[in-house]
Amino acid sequence: MIKLKSSDNDIKQLKQKIASKVRHPYLVRFIPEPTIDEDKLVILSSIMDHTNLSDVKKEQYIVTTMLVQIALDTHDLVTLTEEDDDKDTVRNRQLTVLAGDYFSGLYYYLLSQLDDIPMIHTLAGAIKEINELKMELYYKDVESFQEFLEGLKKIESLLIQRVASYVQKTTINDMAGEWLLAKKLLEEKRTYQEGNFSPLFDVLTRRPGILGNNGQVLVNIEQTLQNHINRLEMTVSQLPIHFNWLKSYVHSAIHHQFNQRQIAEEG
Amino acid sequence: MKLAMIYSFLKNDLAVIENAVNETIQSDNTVLRQASSQLLQAGGKRIRPVFVLLAGKFGDYDIERMKAVAVSLELIHTASLVHDDVIDEAQLRRGEPTIKARWDNRIAMYTGDYIFARSLENLSALENPRAHQILAKTMVELCLGEIEQIKDKYNIEQDLRTYLRRIKRKTALLIAASCRLGAIAANVDDEQETALYQYGYYVGMSYQIIDDVLDFTASEKQLGKPAGGDLLQGNITLPVLISMEDPYFKKRLETAFQKREEWTMEDLRPLIDTIQTNGSIERSLEISDRYLKKAYQSLERLPANRAKQTLKGIAKYIGKRRA
Repeated sequence: MIKLKSSDNDIKQLKQKIASKVRHPYLVRFIPEPTIDEDKLVILSSIMDHTNLSDVKKEQYIVTTMLVQIALDTHDLVTLTEEDDDKDTVRNRQLTVLAGDYFSGLYYYLLSQLDDIPMIHTLAGAIKEINELKMELYYKDVESFQEFLEGLKKIESLLIQRVASYVQKTTINDMAGEWLLAKKLLEEKRTYQEGNFSPLFDVLTRRPGILGNNGQVLVNIEQTLQNHINRLEMTVSQLPIHFNWLKSYVHSAIHHQFNQRQIAEEG
Repeated sequence: MKLAMIYSFLKNDLAVIENAVNETIQSDNTVLRQASSQLLQAGGKRIRPVFVLLAGKFGDYDIERMKAVAVSLELIHTASLVHDDVIDEAQLRRGEPTIKARWDNRIAMYTGDYIFARSLENLSALENPRAHQILAKTMVELCLGEIEQIKDKYNIEQDLRTYLRRIKRKTALLIAASCRLGAIAANVDDEQETALYQYGYYVGMSYQIIDDVLDFTASEKQLGKPAGGDLLQGNITLPVLISMEDPYFKKRLETAFQKREEWTMEDLRPLIDTIQTNGSIERSLEISDRYLKKAYQSLERLPANRAKQTLKGIAKYIGKRRA
């Protein structure tokens, strides 16, 4: 068990712990090991830091919430079926489906061992809502780009915000929403520019009514991203003093993930 | 006799469960609602809820408590079917296009995850930690079983133990858990709860073996897919495993598996013919019967009542599914 007081070291240990839970000898041979979103881990740790829960509970809440996140992210990677899919593609898709199911099962298993039925309920509720939101976002016509962004922000932050509400520590909910949305936009933009499939760009370019043609989509996303980063910097600086570690982490993340990228792109 | 006739005395309670299942998956999202409803209407025998209710009849049977468990188990089963259709690239389920065929894989993933989450939300009404521990463990085992199945595909170096462990995880555990959770929800005493669990386990094993046999013996019309489909997909089931005791058969299978990229049902035909005539079907059914016998023995530890008679009837029905 990790004695939690958010620090780089604790985050590293938590990451290792989660990685060991999701590692499966057969899955690891064929599909990539799941990505553990360090920023979400940091947000969760900061939330738990300010609760009076026991260290065991804090750790279990972080680990199980991250397992749910990993399960959801894994299922987002399930590819669509193509007629010329080869044997390996099919097997990878099959294992991706099962890996996501397995990680979901693990969250339930860990919480059941703790007799924590209310937390099971909280996480299940969040999974339900997130899947409803994904359907809304990707398979229903939204009326405006703003509406689309709101949906995306909810999908990215709802799980953490539900957990924060459950432990009654919602101070950083707004900041978390801004941060995770900005990060998502950045990731999707990078994916798209690398020529890979981006669900976000796919939807936006299929619905020119929302954002215009491909070129406009990129420009608009870039502008939106910058606005969000500005707003995020402001929200972070307004956080109470006891979130100092988190504040410096986010400032550093903004510098590394967003500003440096911009310098690189412009340079 | 039809299976539903055997448990017809549960008709009213099953209608309550059916309504609750439908209510539970009513989402505001149109596609999600359509997808979930289509899946549940295509329906099945609702055999897991039946086992929950029957197990509950040995204790303090309260339909509200039984409902929470029965609905959740049916939803977990349903969620796994949606994802299975993505895994198996299935186009049809009970004659209807699958969710993945009608929409796409991603809709199927979201629908399955949504139904799974609703199932757990629903079960959290049952404030019994042990029930959750049992179900959670079962679900993890179920996934591991499916991963094992993919791992063991086209692997001719496997034994009876591997096969039995796989079908235990694939089928028997969820049926056994249905019986046990039904018993827990009704506060059935420990000894009877264990007997019910074992009954579910043995019946589940027998059921899956017969299912695997039927894949070779039933007609395409009965199966809704060509006979031998499991083997075509590289799944080594009990009749194949028994047939492989003959080194010549094993060699032929190995050769066939080596060119599996381009093989068709026609290439498989000679192997299927051998399986159908070499006694492996009879020996598989003997093993299935042994499990059924153990299921009956488990029932002997339970008091006589209508539920016990029904459980016997179901076991008998399962034993007769031999095309």
